[in-house]
Amino acid sequence: MTETVKITIDGQDYHVPKGMNLVDAAKLHGIEIPTFCYHPKMSPAGMCRMCLVELGSVQKDRESGEVLVDENGEPLVRWFPTLQTACTQTVHDGMVVRTQTERVAEGRSSIVEFLLTSHPLDCPTCDKGGECGLQELTMEYGPGESKFRYEDKHHAEKHVPLGDLIILDRERCILCARCVRYCDELVGEPVLGFHNRGRDLVIETVSDPPFDTVFSGNTTDICPVGALTTADFRFGARPWEMDPVPTICPHCPVGCNLTADTRLSADFGGKRAIKRIMPRQNEAVNEIWICDKGRFGHHHSRAEGRLRQPLMRRDGELVPVSWDEALATVAEKLVQHGSKAFFAAGHSLANEDLWELRKLARQTSRRAKLGLCPATVSGAQAVQQAGVGVGTRLQDLGAGDALLVIASDLYEHAPLWWLQVKQAAERGATVVVANARPTKLDRYAAHTVRYRYGEAARVLHNFAAMALRNDKLDAELLSARVEGWDALEEELKGSRVPAEQKSAAEALLEAQNLVVLAGNDGMGFEQHAELMQAAANLLIVSGHVGRANNGLVAVWPGANTQGALDMGFTSEAVGEAWEKPPAMWVLAEADPLGEDARMAQAFDQADFVVVAAQFLTATARRADVVLPVQSFAEREGTFTNGMRRVQRFYVAQSPLEGTLPAWKAFARLTERVKDGPKPFVAAEQVMQEITEKLAPYAEMSYANLAHVEEQFPPIRRDDLYYGGTAYENTGGLGLQWRTDAESPRKRLSVRPVERSARRWEGLLAVPLRVLYDRALPFAASALMDGHVPAPYAELNAEDAAALGVAEGDRIALEAGAARVELTARVNGHAPQGVVLVPQHLGDVLIAAPETCVVQKIEE
Amino acid sequence: MLAEKYPERIKQIFAKYPDKRSAVMPLLYLAQEEYGWLTEEALREVAGLCDIDPTQARSIAGFYTMFAEKPKGKYWLQVCTDLPCALRGADQFFHELCEYLGVDPEHGGTTDDGLFTVEPVMCLAACDKAPVLQNNFHFHENLNIEHAKQLIEKWRAEAAAEEDKDDEAE
Ligand code: SF4
Ligand code: SF4
Ligand code: FES
Ligand code: FES
Repeated sequence: MTETVKITIDGQDYHVPKGMNLVDAAKLHGIEIPTFCYHPKMSPAGMCRMCLVELGSVQKDRESGEVLVDENGEPLVRWFPTLQTACTQTVHDGMVVRTQTERVAEGRSSIVEFLLTSHPLDCPTCDKGGECGLQELTMEYGPGESKFRYEDKHHAEKHVPLGDLIILDRERCILCARCVRYCDELVGEPVLGFHNRGRDLVIETVSDPPFDTVFSGNTTDICPVGALTTADFRFGARPWEMDPVPTICPHCPVGCNLTADTRLSADFGGKRAIKRIMPRQNEAVNEIWICDKGRFGHHHSRAEGRLRQPLMRRDGELVPVSWDEALATVAEKLVQHGSKAFFAAGHSLANEDLWELRKLARQTSRRAKLGLCPATVSGAQAVQQAGVGVGTRLQDLGAGDALLVIASDLYEHAPLWWLQVKQAAERGATVVVANARPTKLDRYAAHTVRYRYGEAARVLHNFAAMALRNDKLDAELLSARVEGWDALEEELKGSRVPAEQKSAAEALLEAQNLVVLAGNDGMGFEQHAELMQAAANLLIVSGHVGRANNGLVAVWPGANTQGALDMGFTSEAVGEAWEKPPAMWVLAEADPLGEDARMAQAFDQADFVVVAAQFLTATARRADVVLPVQSFAEREGTFTNGMRRVQRFYVAQSPLEGTLPAWKAFARLTERVKDGPKPFVAAEQVMQEITEKLAPYAEMSYANLAHVEEQFPPIRRDDLYYGGTAYENTGGLGLQWRTDAESPRKRLSVRPVERSARRWEGLLAVPLRVLYDRALPFAASALMDGHVPAPYAELNAEDAAALGVAEGDRIALEAGAARVELTARVNGHAPQGVVLVPQHLGDVLIAAPETCVVQKIEE
Repeated sequence: MLAEKYPERIKQIFAKYPDKRSAVMPLLYLAQEEYGWLTEEALREVAGLCDIDPTQARSIAGFYTMFAEKPKGKYWLQVCTDLPCALRGADQFFHELCEYLGVDPEHGGTTDDGLFTVEPVMCLAACDKAPVLQNNFHFHENLNIEHAKQLIEKWRAEAAAEEDKDDEAE
């Protein structure tokens, strides 16, 4: 239990957690202390003086520690002579506070009056109007009129771009420094600052590049006035005209809770469109933050290129046909090909879609194989055994705990987790970053482990060996219910551990709680399977499983990779399809021809290809039938995030006419294949069936996924304790399914992993995933175009010199069946012998590491 | 480049502080000494040396009146016009000084010949000796405008003499 102290507010005694900020402690008991500059997620600044209170402390006898009392037996209180800022106080025993006296009221009213002398009060044209902290607090505490002359009002620049996404209105800024502290403390990129002083004080940036962190949009939420606005939403709609709809970000495995603000919109044919995306508070997932990809990457749902009609190939051309005709044709082909049909899903289909696709596959053939595209990850079993415990919150990890990030560039792959791991490091957690190349997180790591591509699993194997050597094993767990320990122990005994790995392992194994975040940077799915098993081994043998804040977090490539694995879609199945190309393909939101040159030949011999997609992708162009399906914005469903949290999203936007949610399209197909079952009418029924048939989901339902609980700190848009415009969670906090380690009767298994790294000759091309890329559907959100670089490759300086290539040169790169032209960067990121090639910037069709030949293109 | 020109001095400055970022103020002075004022380049250089963001360096330069963010004259005159000084006539003194030099009487400025820059500033910690004028960080206290005019003429003569000397030297 957390220690508490006793404080008195307005004559009432309260027990509050020791070390808490006074403003938060008051809020915990429903007492409002108004704030502008204080924000519960950041350190106090004492800039605005809005939080003034009368403050005192109970007097005690120095010797005995007894509370001194007056003649009436009331405790004697020593009061500060002047009002004090509550936000700069940490609660202590005997603290006495008055928030409702006349002096306090006068203090608050004067502060509002002063603030308004330099505020334009252009609320009618201000984007924040209706959800503005200054409006709320002025109405509640302001004097209603001013002693100051209107003509003396301070004027300043009203349009100052701080980057290409965020625009500052200096006249509205109340100089609270929330944005400054946010950039400095939270994000660690101090690109916003004050300039000048007194009446001339302004917010500015002279950084190069300016304000371009991937977390820039959050400043527009926490700014207590309309001084910061996004290029996306500026003058887009009034807050009160919009309907907020809870949704989930479809872009990465974090699964940030979002709210889509929607409105009937003239530029969307008078139908309901998303006007902006806002964070929705879920303290276990994204707190009140989101990244800019999630915030601005929603435009694809209304993009020009969206498919609005089924297409069918006639005389070599894809031509529009009716749903009926398309479905009839596909069903006929499925019956014809039977077990020779292959089904593959992408990483961001909803669970309901995946389930119906699986049903369609089973209806077609009992032996049907289910593939996952791109086929880059594995390790479902490792997660099932050793995934993070239910109730894990990265924000709870701090001093005494440890986090290991391996084979992932978190900033690019799961931005919110990057932010949370960074903050955990700053709270005192030991962060170890193990990667084959430098990443942004290295700066916050207590230990950085560098391995050669292909050796990731070996690093974790060595860490487990250190657990054995240093007697950090969970002997009880091992003897009670772990299979395969003897064989693993034998292997671990023989390991030689390099020194830098020793110290990193020791730091990790000391920790109370240990979370491992494992990605798949620079590996094929076979190697990834080994890495995930090695992670599970480490966590199981050291006993860091089966409880909150311990276990494995998979940094999957997609928003619902976890769901796809849960439903049985695997990379291994795709691997088999390369070997033995199927006669018929059914692909759902998967674009193998757009990302992997090796896939082309697997399609050569296909008789029939069906693609369900939002856009005409490379694979869709090769298809015989294309089924237009809906984006996350237009239908409901669930995603399972990288911590196995199943989360609901709701219908936000009017669906494009002619499209169907993928699950419905598959259900209608199933019905036509050998008299299959009738389709469900609602997504909820699909989930119902999932819960009946899929063990981990057994306890879930749309109703309990929608369950909400009070979050602390409470961030409400109309609150006087103004935390910003993140939405309150009304859509549900979701539920995590339980791992085997959490079920005391389930057995766990460990096994030695394949550690012999594949050696390569010459240069190895390693594909990278970057956050802002040109992969569909995100690419269709044109707002972010300026942030997506032209295709490039990163070379090691020595390799570049040997090739005669310099920074900025054009190069031709050939890897297996892939050939691309790129711009060379020589910046110290690429290890020797490796060329790093970001995917999805252009036609880079390299999905897994492969040896390559690089040549300079002479101009 | 400061780093190339003053490696020793920079090393000495860093030696005085627990971390690099704490050395930002003395390094800004060094840059100001070198370039006459804190150009954008100078700020970037100092930020680079201290391992901070240029925005942070500029924030510091902007806060303190003793850092110049614009080119200034050979004689950089700062007059405190804060309330305590104003009560002793410093604001009036400032206006008169500006008029005498022919620059904007509200905000000050630089004379056409580039010799003088006059600026109103916040407290110079000489409140008891107002009006006070700081010339290139040297104090002249308890002034009145007549006294100030004499100082100006003295500096003007000084500058002219130096110029003659330079001409002869060529
Ligand atoms: S821009 Fe907004 S958040 Fe930043 S200082 Fe001004 S009022 Fe505060
Ligand atoms: S961190 Fe991931 S889930 Fe969250 S908003 Fe960004 S892309 Fe979406
Ligand atoms: S000074 Fe306390 S909230 Fe601003
Ligand atoms: S107020 Fe002018 S020097 Fe202090």
